[in-house]
Amino acid sequence: MNMIVPLSSLRPGERGVVVSITGGARARSRLMAMGLMPGAVVQVVEAYGRGPIIFTVGSTRLAMGRGLAARVLVRKL
Amino acid sequence: MGRTRVVALAGNPNVGKTTLFNALTGMRQHVGNWPGVTVEKKEGKFTYNGETFLVVDLPGTYSLTAHSIDEIITRNFLLNSKPDVVVNVVDVTALMRNLYLTFEILEMGLKNVVIALNKFDLAEKKGIKVDPRRMAEVLGVPVVPISAKSGEGLEELKETIARMARGELKCEPVLPTYDRAVEREIEHISRVLEGTDLAKRYSVRWLAVKLLQRDDDVMKLVLRQLGKEKLDEIMRHIGEVEERYGRSIDLVMASSRYEFIDSLLHRFVEYENVVVTSFTDQLDRVLTHPVYGLIALAIVFYFVFKFVFALGMPLQSLLAKAFSDLGSWLAPHITSSLLRGLVVQGIIGGVGTVLSFFPLVFLMFFALAVLEDTGYMARAALVLEDIMRKFGLSGKSFIPLILGFGCNVPAIMATRSIDDEKARLVTVLINSFIPCSARLSVISFITAVFFSSHRALVALSIYAIAVGVAFLMAWLLSRFVVRGERAPFVMELPEYAVPPWKTVLLHSWERSKEFIKKAGTVILGGAIFMWFLSNYPEPVGTGKSYAEAIGHFLAPYVSLMGLDWKAAVSLLFGVIAKENVIATYGVLYGSKTAIAGAMGQLQAYVLAVVTTLYVPCIATMAAIKGEAGWKWMFFTVAYMIAVASLVGILIWHVGTWL
Repeated sequence: MNMIVPLSSLRPGERGVVVSITGGARARSRLMAMGLMPGAVVQVVEAYGRGPIIFTVGSTRLAMGRGLAARVLVRKL
Repeated sequence: MGRTRVVALAGNPNVGKTTLFNALTGMRQHVGNWPGVTVEKKEGKFTYNGETFLVVDLPGTYSLTAHSIDEIITRNFLLNSKPDVVVNVVDVTALMRNLYLTFEILEMGLKNVVIALNKFDLAEKKGIKVDPRRMAEVLGVPVVPISAKSGEGLEELKETIARMARGELKCEPVLPTYDRAVEREIEHISRVLEGTDLAKRYSVRWLAVKLLQRDDDVMKLVLRQLGKEKLDEIMRHIGEVEERYGRSIDLVMASSRYEFIDSLLHRFVEYENVVVTSFTDQLDRVLTHPVYGLIALAIVFYFVFKFVFALGMPLQSLLAKAFSDLGSWLAPHITSSLLRGLVVQGIIGGVGTVLSFFPLVFLMFFALAVLEDTGYMARAALVLEDIMRKFGLSGKSFIPLILGFGCNVPAIMATRSIDDEKARLVTVLINSFIPCSARLSVISFITAVFFSSHRALVALSIYAIAVGVAFLMAWLLSRFVVRGERAPFVMELPEYAVPPWKTVLLHSWERSKEFIKKAGTVILGGAIFMWFLSNYPEPVGTGKSYAEAIGHFLAPYVSLMGLDWKAAVSLLFGVIAKENVIATYGVLYGSKTAIAGAMGQLQAYVLAVVTTLYVPCIATMAAIKGEAGWKWMFFTVAYMIAVASLVGILIWHVGTWL
C-alpha cells in the first residue's frame, strides 16, 4: 500500500504516479497539456526549502510553485 | 501564377517551431527558448518550385483551450483563417506530450495537417527509435522527419507542404475515442448540432468535445447561434453525465486521450533504456539553487549589463553627436529660419534620438536572445520567482528592471519575455521609476554642485527612493489597478543548448528595427512639438515662449515642492530626454553653474528626486505605447506625475520642518 501525497511533499529522487489534479479548471487543463495527467510518472529533481519544486515528467522538465504542487496528488513509488 | 498559399506552424513551446520558421523563410524571425515568447503573429515567405507560400508562425501552446491568449490566437487562426496547410511541429524526444496537441488540432476536423517530426537527429541518442512511415500510417497524417537546426529534411517538408496544398496528399487522421459514456454524450450533442449553421463551419464532433470540456468560447458560439435554450439543454445533460462520473469530465477526457496516444505510440516507437548523465541536471544543481543560483545570476547579469552598456553607450553618444553635427552642418544651408528650426531641432533632433538608441536596443536583444536560447533565462526567472511574486511581479520581471538602470527603452521592450500578462503589464508600468543613465547624469550633476560632502550617499539615497517607489507601486498596481488573475506558476525548463547564432543575430536585428519603426513616430512627433513650444512666439530665454508660459502657469504647483517656474520649464524639457533638465537650466540662467546660486540644497535634492520620478522620457513613452498601448502610456505618465509630486512635496515639507 502506497500513500497518496501531494507532489510538493516528494523529496529529490523520489518518484510518484499522478493520481489527480485538484484546483481550478484553468490550471488543471494547462498542467494536463504539459503532460502532467493522471497516470504520468513524475520524478523530483530539486526541491529547496519552500521554493519551487523541479521535476521531470517524461522527458520534460518542469518547475512549479509549491502552492500548485500541493494540488497535484501522487501515489508514491 | 497561382495565389499565395498560407501555411500555419503550430506546436508546443520549445519544440523548435520558430527555428523551423526561420529555416523555411530565410531566417527573418525570432527563435527563443522561453515558453510563450511568440505572442505576435509572425509571417514569412518561401518559394518552392515557383510557388510562393506564406508561413505564419503561431504561438507555441500545449493545448487549444480557451484559457490563454496564445491558445485562443492559435485556435482561432486554425478555425477561421483556414490556412491551406497546417504544419504541426512535433518534438520527437517528447512524443507523448506533443501528440496531445496534435490530436487537439486533428479533432478540429482539419484535413490538411502535416507533421514535422523535429529533433529527429537527437532521437537515437536518447534511445528513441521512431519509424516515421509507420507513424504516418498509424496517425493517418503525412509525417516528415526533420532537424530544423541543421536543415535536414527541409526540402522534403517543403515538397510535402506543396503537395498537401495542391490536394495531392491524403490526411485521414485517426481521432481519439473516449469511453462509452463520453462517446454517447458526444453523439447526443452532435445530434442536437447537426443541420445547424454551426455544423457547416465547424466539425460537429469538435464542438461536442469542447462543450463537454465547458469551453467558454464554444459555449458562447452555441449561445449566439442556437440560443440560450439549446445551450442550457446541452449543458444540463452534460452536468448529469458528470454527476454519474463523480469527477470532472475534462480530467476523464484528458486521461483517455493520453491512453489513446499511449496505445498508438508502441506501434511506431521503441524506447531503449539509455542512461544519459545529463549535463542539464548537473548545471541545474547550481543554477537553480536558491543561494548559488542567485550568485550565478548576479555574475551573469553583471556581464550582460557590462556587455550591453559598455559597448552600447559609446555608440549611442557617437550617433547622437553625428546627428547634431549633421544638424549644424545643415543649418546654414536652410535660409528660412522657421524651416531651419523645424528640420534641425525637430526632425533631425527627433530622428537622431531614435536612431541613437539603435545600438543599445540591438545589443540588449542580442544578449537576451542568447540567454534565452541557451536555456539560462528560464533558470534566472525560476530563482527569482518567489521574491518577485510577493510584489505582483514575475521572476522574469527582473531582467527589465536591471536593464532599466541603463535605459528604460530596451528594458520595457524586454518585458515581452514575461508570459504572465498581468506581471508583464505591471513591469511595464513601473519600469520608468528605475533611474536610467540619463538620470544618473542629472543626479550626479546636482550632487556635485550642491553637496560638498557625502555625495555618494546623497546619490544613493535617490536611487533607494526610486527603487523603493518602483516596488511599492508594483505592489499597489498589482493589487488595485491591473486586473486579472495571476497564472499559477509552472514553467518548462528547456535543456541547455548552444544558441543558433545566425538566428539570434537576425532576430535581434528584426526586433530592433521594429523598435525604430514603432518609436520613431512618437519621438519625432514629440520632438517637433517641443521645438514648437520652445520657439513660439519667441525663442526660449526671451521669456516669451510658450514653454516659459507653461512654466509660469505651473509655478504655483511646483512651489508646493519648493521649486520655481524655471524648474517647471526644465522638467518640461526633460520629457524629451532627462539630461535636458540641467541643459535647460543652463539656457534659463545663462550658464549651468549659475544654478548653484539659484536654489538651496534641499530644493536641489527635491529637483533631483522629482526628475528621477516624474515622467518617462519620450522614447520610453513610445516603448510603453508599443508594449501596452496608448491607454497605459497615458496612465503611466499621469500616475508618475502624481507619485513624483507626492514624494517631492513630502521631502520638501519634511526637509523644511527638520
